[in-house]
Amino acid sequence: MLKTRWTWFAAAGALTLWAALSWMGCSGGAKGGAGNFASAAQKVYVKPGEHDAYYAFFSGGHSGQVFVYGMPSCRHITTIPVFTPEPAKGYGVDEESREMLKGYTWGDAHHPGLSETDGDYDGRWLFINDMPNARIARIDLRDFVTHEIFGPIPNVSAAHACPFPTPNTEYVFAASRFSAPVPVGSYSRVEDYGKNFKGIIAGVKVDPKSGHMSLGFEILMPPFDWDLADAGKGPSHGWEFFTCYNSEGAFDSLETKASQNEMDYVAAVDWRAAQKAVDEGKARQIGGAPVLDPATVKGIVYLVPVPKSPHGVDVDPSGEYICCAGKLQAEVSVFSFKKIAAAIAAGQFDGEKDGIPVLKYADCLEARVPVGLGPLHTQFDGKGFAYTSLFLDSKIAKWKVGPPWKVVDDIDVYYSIGHLMASEGDTRHPTGEYVVALDKLSKDRYLQVGPAHPEAAQLIDLRGPKMELLYDFPTYLEPHYAQMIRAEKVKPIKYYPMDENHNPRAIKRPEEARVERKGRRVDVYMVAVRSHFTPDVLRVVQGDTVYFHVTNVEQEEDIAHGFGILFSSKDMQVDPGETKTMRWVAGKSGVTPFYCSNFCSALHQEMQGYIEVAPPGSKVSSLQRPSAQRVSEVAALMRH
Amino acid sequence: MSYLTGTFAGNQRRWIWLAALVLLPVFFLPVLPIWIMKLWAPQYREGLQLTIFANDIRGDLQSINTLNHYVGMKAISAADFAEFRYLPQALTLFGLMALVAALVNRRWVALLGWLAFTGFSAYMFFDFARWLYHYGHDLNPHAPIKLPIFTPPLIGIRHMANFRVLSVPGPGTLLLGLAWLLGPVVVLLERRAARRAGGPRG
Repeated sequence: MLKTRWTWFAAAGALTLWAALSWMGCSGGAKGGAGNFASAAQKVYVKPGEHDAYYAFFSGGHSGQVFVYGMPSCRHITTIPVFTPEPAKGYGVDEESREMLKGYTWGDAHHPGLSETDGDYDGRWLFINDMPNARIARIDLRDFVTHEIFGPIPNVSAAHACPFPTPNTEYVFAASRFSAPVPVGSYSRVEDYGKNFKGIIAGVKVDPKSGHMSLGFEILMPPFDWDLADAGKGPSHGWEFFTCYNSEGAFDSLETKASQNEMDYVAAVDWRAAQKAVDEGKARQIGGAPVLDPATVKGIVYLVPVPKSPHGVDVDPSGEYICCAGKLQAEVSVFSFKKIAAAIAAGQFDGEKDGIPVLKYADCLEARVPVGLGPLHTQFDGKGFAYTSLFLDSKIAKWKVGPPWKVVDDIDVYYSIGHLMASEGDTRHPTGEYVVALDKLSKDRYLQVGPAHPEAAQLIDLRGPKMELLYDFPTYLEPHYAQMIRAEKVKPIKYYPMDENHNPRAIKRPEEARVERKGRRVDVYMVAVRSHFTPDVLRVVQGDTVYFHVTNVEQEEDIAHGFGILFSSKDMQVDPGETKTMRWVAGKSGVTPFYCSNFCSALHQEMQGYIEVAPPGSKVSSLQRPSAQRVSEVAALMRH
Repeated sequence: MSYLTGTFAGNQRRWIWLAALVLLPVFFLPVLPIWIMKLWAPQYREGLQLTIFANDIRGDLQSINTLNHYVGMKAISAADFAEFRYLPQALTLFGLMALVAALVNRRWVALLGWLAFTGFSAYMFFDFARWLYHYGHDLNPHAPIKLPIFTPPLIGIRHMANFRVLSVPGPGTLLLGLAWLLGPVVVLLERRAARRAGGPRG
């Protein structure tokens, strides 16, 4: 009897211990997985040889690049080098792109912005900012190549709210994330922040034909941290909206000191009025830019109070509602443009901030939508719903734009979402098919690759009544924002038509191939065609600076030629019909081989040549030409 | 009075021995957690854990403190708890008292030990609740994220911001509870034995 009692107690003790330990080990449930994997898989599957419905352009963050994905397959198609040299394409190596980079080897690319016509993507260009160096690049979607880098924009100190094009790509914008003394580079004690520091909003004009960028105007803003932007459309066309944090004007310990005010601001900029004021000579030149002081030039900018450090500002497809996500508040404040315009017209201001009229929050507010914790950005589906990313909740909340202004659905994401991107989700006509969650922090969702995790992105279906996770895929560092455009709107070329090659250094016939010497400068006019360079042997003298002008005369798909020189950092890719120039200094005497670094044909490996580098003082003829036989061989190939 | 000065019958005395034995792992080796708190959030699906021992607090302390600083909660640090400096000794004392009670076999020693243990345990519960209140109420007013004041759960599950917080006694406390329960068990057994013997004695 006694014995059994002891056993009973021991068993009870063990049971208690087991219960307690299993409590320790238990884990929280998580929803949000793809419920029906087979059906989800079908929705992202694109058969071999078939094409995706969308191009998606992901900013490369501090990789300084743009990643192009096909959607819904989530296949990485290509990487476009923008702010960072890229050996694979010779970007930043050939003279043209090297000059464009201006010596920078890095950029922090945040917000891709597709060009628009009448508020819809037109598939012509993709703009993207380099935040720290205040630059905007323009990628031509004809060839997916960076054609222009504008900036550093004068006075702008880190272009974060950038470029966010206007509905007809009249402007792309840039605003200082880090207010600083203007002109940039001037000295001040940081303690004199309130007195000497200024924010800047810059309107960069885009030529409607060429896409060429030029500075339209700048506006002196209070020394806040200007954060994000979006262009008005429809009724709000003509305005650009900018959020800020740190309306406290703190200059150190921002984590705490910039989060104290209940209200920060969204700045509404009437860019047509600003441009008019500059055209009327109301600007003063600061740091080489026409700068408007809103204290003296009225009617160009107004401040609308927004609760608790707003991050994203997003205008809905109708152009009537301006949605600001207070990142330290569980709400999106929706402002009505009608109400803002009425308050401005009535002159109902709540005083001024550094000469800028401040509107009353209640006058402009349409609704406060309780979306969840850490709201950052909002996208739209064109069916009357908005989608807000929630950083802290790691969710996307779907809510009704309009009464009752309530969340109707939400979905978990993996993890800590930043931006989100709906298919054509910031245009006047979003397609409402997909949204992609772009995660700031991520758990290992893929095979582990060490402590630095790839960023996670998830494709979510918006077509049903409930959001459905279809697929997740890794991205390289570090996408901030992305844009998704219907594939048929983009019309890339297969090669550069030779008759459109107006490069003055281009040679179109082998008879023009030559090596010209002027003093210590040698210009090599070279033809590249399968499978040889002409000339393929040339003679220079040690210390010469040699410019290789290589024209790829091919007129066929994907026959790109590379041009790489041994024992150098010199390699470039020349696409069919293109001419590129590469500078190389003949440092040592000897023989230096060069070769085609981009596979081009069965005899690709035979596509090579030699540079004889004669010792200093050697006599070299000032004009070298390939042999007549060589020229006729190449001419025969080109007729082919 | 004679009851208190009396001794336990063999059976009941073994229960006192057991109480001492059950207390042993807790007081000699503070390796059994006395309290466990677990926190889940969407970004911490596998959960973060705080494990409180008689002399230390361990687990994902660093992560939890980093998160808590955004809402202005004071950093949790073992050094702040004076309890950790006397709790193991106090538990040792109760274990020893149980041992002594079993050795000398006097009811009053056992009762004294049991009452002291009860009082101390009640105080420790109150103390723990006070700490939880303190962490959820003394928030830095300048914190970037302003939460309404809150009290983490003493026992059970509560939702706090984007976290689900579970708080449960650990195996250490369960063993202590078991040892404590042996007090009433002994009394019960004695009463039953007395009833069987035909009426109350002493």
